[in-house]
Amino acid sequence: MTNLVSANGIQNGGSKQAALRFLANYGFLPIILVVLCIAFGLMEPRFLTFDNALNIIEQSSYLIVLGLAQMFVLLVRGFDLSLGVVVSAIGVATAMLIVAIAPGGEGSVALSLLVGFCAAIAMGVLAGVINGTLVAYLDINPFVVTLGTQGVAFGIATTISGGFPVMDLPPALTGLLGQNGSLFGPVPPPVAICLAAMLISSLVLNRTVFGRSLYIIGSSPKAAEVGGLPWRRFTMLSYVACSILVAIGAILMMARTGTGEPSTGAGLVLLSIAAAVAGGVSLRGGEGRVSHVVLGGLLVSVLSIGMNLTRIDGFLQQVVLGVVIVAAVFLDRLRQRIRI
Amino acid sequence: MTGSPALTQQTRFATWYGHRGLAIGLLPIVAIALFVLLSIVEPKFLRAGNLINVLRNASFLMLVATGQMLVLIIGGFDLAVGAVVAFASVAAALSMAALLIVMPDSPLLVIALGGAAGIVAGAAVGLMNGLVTALMKVNPFMVTLGTLSIASGLALYLTQGVPIYGMPELFTRDFAKWHFLNLPAIIYFTAFVLIVMWWLMNWTRYGRYVYAIGSNPHAARVSGVPVNLIVISTYTACGAFAALAGVLLTARVGSGEATLGGNMMMESIAAAVIGGVSLRGGVGRVEMVALGSLFLALVNNGLNLMRIDSKLQAIVVGVVLILAVGIDRLQSRRARR
Repeated sequence: MTNLVSANGIQNGGSKQAALRFLANYGFLPIILVVLCIAFGLMEPRFLTFDNALNIIEQSSYLIVLGLAQMFVLLVRGFDLSLGVVVSAIGVATAMLIVAIAPGGEGSVALSLLVGFCAAIAMGVLAGVINGTLVAYLDINPFVVTLGTQGVAFGIATTISGGFPVMDLPPALTGLLGQNGSLFGPVPPPVAICLAAMLISSLVLNRTVFGRSLYIIGSSPKAAEVGGLPWRRFTMLSYVACSILVAIGAILMMARTGTGEPSTGAGLVLLSIAAAVAGGVSLRGGEGRVSHVVLGGLLVSVLSIGMNLTRIDGFLQQVVLGVVIVAAVFLDRLRQRIRI
Repeated sequence: MTGSPALTQQTRFATWYGHRGLAIGLLPIVAIALFVLLSIVEPKFLRAGNLINVLRNASFLMLVATGQMLVLIIGGFDLAVGAVVAFASVAAALSMAALLIVMPDSPLLVIALGGAAGIVAGAAVGLMNGLVTALMKVNPFMVTLGTLSIASGLALYLTQGVPIYGMPELFTRDFAKWHFLNLPAIIYFTAFVLIVMWWLMNWTRYGRYVYAIGSNPHAARVSGVPVNLIVISTYTACGAFAALAGVLLTARVGSGEATLGGNMMMESIAAAVIGGVSLRGGVGRVEMVALGSLFLALVNNGLNLMRIDSKLQAIVVGVVLILAVGIDRLQSRRARR
């Protein structure tokens, strides 16, 4: 009798605990996503079509790449406010380089793209090293460091381009890597590259000393220091990892529009943070998985595409995004309490 | 034993430097050096018109930076100030334009009500920042990043990106051009706010509470300081100061615009940090923040006079910001040793 009761109790507790663990891991996000999809579907039937689903996946793949970038630094209690403007700066510089080698698609296009992509990644590494060194070795608050580098990158992006989009990129760029590009056969290039970025990030975070260390540094910097981890180097490298992903994002955005845009990047910081944090990457460091960012990226793009289809004013969408961020931070807090 | 007086004197100097010297730092010297340099390099710099211009630009920044300082001292952060400047400008302009149609005969009342509407709008954003950060104990960066998006989205939505006209001429022409002793009204507004803030921070219980919370929130709470109330009040004041700057900028520009205050977020943080406000809370002085703002205004003016592209100025402010924090960091390391 007693056995039965206790076994029953354990089972009840078990399922309740499993539910709580799911909540603690993913929050209310999957539920919110489903509710949002149904709500938008009711308001606008076009929302629930195959084409639109594909569209959502494509849109979110840009966001997921940038959200992953933000996650790498969030894990070590860092932050990257410069992300969006660095996308612009790298996009503009790369576009100018490609145009210089092969103006309007004349000349050696393949060479120009290869040089351009390598340069973009190199600029990403450079931006990461600058941010990371200031944060990790000089112990400066990451918000302020990246606020400062944001100003610098903004100045560079608008100065070298004169404030205008860089035109005359080879059409092959959009043909290969744009939304309907042919580089990966039937799979849209942003989706393919996003999947690769997810896979590599997940391997790095779960299977390498560097990745595992980021979690330790984030949850307890003191423990990491006492335990003898080269935490300064790893913190710096997390900014490098972030900026390499940012450079990949910049290449994708450039291929999408076929221009180097000096000003559109600025809004991306907010989106990348929203994707990461709404997905459940903790602001207090040490917590966050690739699956979190994927969920968050989907949420943000479902919201923005849903609002576009239901014709909600673009400026109001910005207000909604702000509300989502504040709500996400609030829920992050709630989730932490559930765990305790 | 004979060496001891000298030793005491040296220690006294070290203590003095530790307490006063570090607090005052290099800023006044650098600011004066920059002033001298600019007057030598650029003869146009010393013209009265230009100097008043520097003071005017510094005044707008001082208002916003003083609010930012309050929030920084209690260990917070406000990324939304720039958006609040725009939001307040739009709110004030819209209400003035609407009120002027209702009562075209009393422009003074319209200005007072419209200005109040702008300041209340800004204070409301600040209140929201304060409530969320204080009561839910969440990261102020994230909260104010969210409200930044909300406030600037609302400002853009209300105006649809178009400047708003139709305010009383008394406001956009007479008030904007009004001056006393050759100095425009904004300078008197700012001076008044700075004096009140200086008094508040140095001579009242409120100021001591603010510093106490910044140095050690737990100790402050245990000693009976109403921590939440004070934290909320600092964010609200920060919003109100930014809004006042927004309303005054509206008079100067002559229209309500959702794009005003674009650089204010970064510049206000830079001015506060250059003025020695610590990002770890508990440290910061009104007069030094005012000097920090003046310094930034001098830098911008110098760059303008030398015809350096305004876009490059973002780079300069960014570098100055990182340098200032780096130096602050090194100094506090040295002070701890």
